Amino acid sequence: MIVLRAMDKIMTCAEFQEKLPELFESQADLGAQEHLKSCEMCAALVRDLEYIAAQARLLLPIHDPSPAVWEHIQQAIRRGDEPDVKSVSAGRK
Amino acid sequence: MAVERFVLMNAGPSQPRPATQHLRRNPPIAGEQEAIQRAQSGDSRAFETLYAMHKRRVYSLCLRMLGNVAEAEDLTQEAFLQLYRKIGTFRGDSAFSTWLHRLAVNVVLMHLRRKGLPQVSLEETLEPAQDDGPRKDIGARDLTLSGSIDRVTLERAIENLPPGYRLVFVLHDVEGYEHNEIAEMLDCSIGNSKSQLHKARMKLRDLLRTGQRKEQIA
Repeated sequence: MIVLRAMDKIMTCAEFQEKLPELFESQADLGAQEHLKSCEMCAALVRDLEYIAAQARLLLPIHDPSPAVWEHIQQAIRRGDEPDVKSVSAGRK
Repeated sequence: MAVERFVLMNAGPSQPRPATQHLRRNPPIAGEQEAIQRAQSGDSRAFETLYAMHKRRVYSLCLRMLGNVAEAEDLTQEAFLQLYRKIGTFRGDSAFSTWLHRLAVNVVLMHLRRKGLPQVSLEETLEPAQDDGPRKDIGARDLTLSGSIDRVTLERAIENLPPGYRLVFVLHDVEGYEHNEIAEMLDCSIGNSKSQLHKARMKLRDLLRTGQRKEQIA
């Protein structure tokens, strides 16, 4: 971490962005990165990436399959089919 | 060979991970335990109950991973048929929904591998691409995303991600799998999974910002 901070002072935007995946994964306090204190462009990038990840975590399952899916499951079970014998999309054709 | 190895290693949802994220996303469902026990005894009504309880989650997962309604429905069907065949092997070592979820992920991944589609060419999308590299214009002050993206917009942007990116993003950021789990599922290194995730987020940012610009122009 000490080395990172020392390097941080001389990081260019390209160098900082190259290290960004590693910084995210290390769950480091990105706000403490020296580069971000002086670079609004990279600070905005970090804010956006954090925002995207946070919003993704809030996505809930909201889509329901059509009733045809259950109908085909029932039919396949009655026939004793192995999975993938008759698909819903094939039934549409 | 890699495909067969993957299938053998992941043929069943036998090793679910009790990750915190999964627990948060898999709260106990009233009546589920009883339905599982009855379905394990061959009660078809109980299986229908389990389908009703979990169809939305399984289908949403398939849809997000595939970005295609017809394929998502086919694989939802296949996942539940596999569940029907394998439910007797569920021993309750983990949450049922976690177990079923992993089964569904495996169904989707095996389908993609059979088709030879994007996630098997993971390395290809890991190569540095012109639109993934560091940019100088990405932080324009008047175009920050924070607070401005609704769920529908984000869902649409995820749909438009290149398939290889979409898989890792959905598995990690939406579904809460850890990189080591994703690496195992996709038969890639943990480093690749991390790199792919970062590029997916960068691409999403581009897509979302492009959408914002279009809205502003309109």
